Amino acid sequence: MRSTLPLILTFVVGLFMVGEFFIPHWRYHMWTQVFLEWGFILAAAAYVLGLVNLVQVNLPKVLNKEQDWPYKLIMLAAIATMMIPGFIGGETRLQDGQMYKWLFDFVFVPLDATMFALLAFYIASAAFRAFRARNLEATVLLAAAILVMLARVPIGENLPVIGTKLVQFMNWIMDVPNTAARRAIFIGSALGAVATGLRIILGIERSHLGTDG
Amino acid sequence: MKLDTLIRFQNMDRRWIFLGMGLAILIPMLVPITLPFKVDERVQALYDAVEEVPNGSTVFISADFGPSSRPELEPYFRATLHHLFRKDIKIVSATLWPSAPPLVVPIYEELAERYGKEYGRDWCFLGYKDGKELAIKSIGENIPNAFPKDHVGTPVGELEVMRGYQQAKDFPLIINVSGGAPGTREYVLQIQGQYDLKIASATTAVSGPDYIPFYKAGQLVGLAAGMPGSAHYEKLVFPDGPPEGVRLLATQAYNVLNVGHAFIILLIVAGNLAFFVTRRAEEQEA
Amino acid sequence: MSGIEIAGAWLSIFLTLCVLSFLYDDNPIYKLAEHIFLGVSIGYGVIEIYFGVFKPNLLDKLIDGTTAQQVLAVVPLVMIACLFAKLDKKRAWLARFPIAFIVAAFAGVKLTGQLNANLMTQVAESIPNIPEVWAEYGLWSWEADGAGVLSSIFLVIGLSACLLHFYFSAPQSKTMQKISRFGVLVLMLSFGASFGYTVMGRISLAIGRAQEMLGLDRPPEEVAVIHPKMATLICLVIVIGFLIAWRKRQGDGHEPAN
Repeated sequence: MRSTLPLILTFVVGLFMVGEFFIPHWRYHMWTQVFLEWGFILAAAAYVLGLVNLVQVNLPKVLNKEQDWPYKLIMLAAIATMMIPGFIGGETRLQDGQMYKWLFDFVFVPLDATMFALLAFYIASAAFRAFRARNLEATVLLAAAILVMLARVPIGENLPVIGTKLVQFMNWIMDVPNTAARRAIFIGSALGAVATGLRIILGIERSHLGTDG
Repeated sequence: MKLDTLIRFQNMDRRWIFLGMGLAILIPMLVPITLPFKVDERVQALYDAVEEVPNGSTVFISADFGPSSRPELEPYFRATLHHLFRKDIKIVSATLWPSAPPLVVPIYEELAERYGKEYGRDWCFLGYKDGKELAIKSIGENIPNAFPKDHVGTPVGELEVMRGYQQAKDFPLIINVSGGAPGTREYVLQIQGQYDLKIASATTAVSGPDYIPFYKAGQLVGLAAGMPGSAHYEKLVFPDGPPEGVRLLATQAYNVLNVGHAFIILLIVAGNLAFFVTRRAEEQEA
Repeated sequence: MSGIEIAGAWLSIFLTLCVLSFLYDDNPIYKLAEHIFLGVSIGYGVIEIYFGVFKPNLLDKLIDGTTAQQVLAVVPLVMIACLFAKLDKKRAWLARFPIAFIVAAFAGVKLTGQLNANLMTQVAESIPNIPEVWAEYGLWSWEADGAGVLSSIFLVIGLSACLLHFYFSAPQSKTMQKISRFGVLVLMLSFGASFGYTVMGRISLAIGRAQEMLGLDRPPEEVAVIHPKMATLICLVIVIGFLIAWRKRQGDGHEPAN
């Protein structure tokens, strides 16, 4: 029962959601809307479960003063610092003057943005140290990269004599070889996704059910 | 150049490269050089798609970006709001990214005030919904079911701008400002084909090459990719320059990209030159 | 602007520099910023999920909804309880039901989406209408960025060659290997273009941070109050000072993480 019932549920729900694409009847869609709503409620609950698990794992480390415990304490304090004003603020939490908004604007935004901005520096380092034209394929890759980097910004466009042709050739690369390659990847991934989806719905793939209990 | 110098050059501490990258960004910001540029055909198509929307009708905007994609997409988002409000086009908006609401709501409020637009009558923001593809499917089927209330708790049925717009296909145009997943790809895969929707996309540069096949196949009516896309759109919306109080951040940043890209190209060329010279010298020594 | 907003702007610049200090080496102020970011982003996500999903789609329906809505809202509530049973080893098996539901729902919608948009439409649009293309662009049109019959044929051949390259189910003959090699070259053109765009995207993010630190993203009246350039300079001195002190404490034996 512990394995069979979830598999039956997987089959019924999966098939029902596949049918949403093909069956236009309003009664059918009334129920797919219900299932979709349940689905995104559960997806949200999984996020909260992650938070609970995070606290479960890190709180003992803080209490037992294990390695890096001050950082874990700061992380847990930051979670609480963000959540308390959020709940207190309620529907007005995102208005100017609210602590929650202040924390978002002046703590979350700069940290999130700068974490990703670091990549600009690492990509420069990778460009110098790792990108070598060792063979024909690598040379083609680098040539395409240099062409796109040059032609995609005003400096390439404004080069005398070749500027316009550079942009036109770059656009051709994006419209033809890039489209051909991406479509091949899309087609391959679509076939893979269809196969995986069918395996899940038909109960052949069961790894998501785990081995608990 | 001596062989060991070249080897040391190739193995130099990468913090020097970081410093060089930092200067390549800072110097053109402090000493800006502006170069003219032409608008990309895909961005022109995006602009034309908005121009084709009749004045006074309503579009759906899915503002799916966060702080990490803000420099590339916020300028486009602002320019689009100027474009839409100027044409008296109403906006119903929502997001699939939790970090979007505090970024986009102040921009909506700022520009709505500038153009005399009233919340509930001319625009509304339905808030954030988790669930990725499930949320998008729900938008395709029944928006009030997915978003029973707006971002401040007002029931959706009480919003004048929502009257007559129950699902995605009711809107003549859907604009997706997409910072990643969930975003344009999920909109195209889940509801564009099923409901034959007109979707226009502004996306990050990283995703740009991925979405070009969607544009070529007619699944997207227009595509603005990255900072250049935003800069091109700014040029189309403000052909005579920005009005008072409007800053064209993408156009400003677009010119900074010149030096950044030139630096990267220099690094690739220098690295490869040093590599090949070193390899040839080592082969000769052997 | 209020004092707290000015303080916030300075804090924002300081935290930016704390994260950028990672470029020098993995150090305590970076770790501090990293853990603050983790905590704040998780806390923020939970709040938005509560107000964006739980409250309007579940709690409000349970409390204020019609009878039908209340009955239907009980089902996800029960499933959430089953999901949280995962935290208890004895009752963890209950979580299989909500997990099965979510996985099945996603599998079902993704299956049709992929089939329709990624497979059928992309294949259909790859087959060129040669007479139409010839009438519009001829053999090759520079004005249309290389559109024309040649490009259409190249697209089909390139797509087929790439698909052949991904075929691993049987050994490839010499002819197939040559076509597969052409497919690899087409893929390399695409990945090279992708790399160019990725570089552009990453540098754009760094430009965004620089715009904030130099005050270029704010109106002049705000810049006059915040003084972002001065804030950047002062915070930079503090961060560099910390890094020097930390380095001295580490001693000469410390190898940078970079």
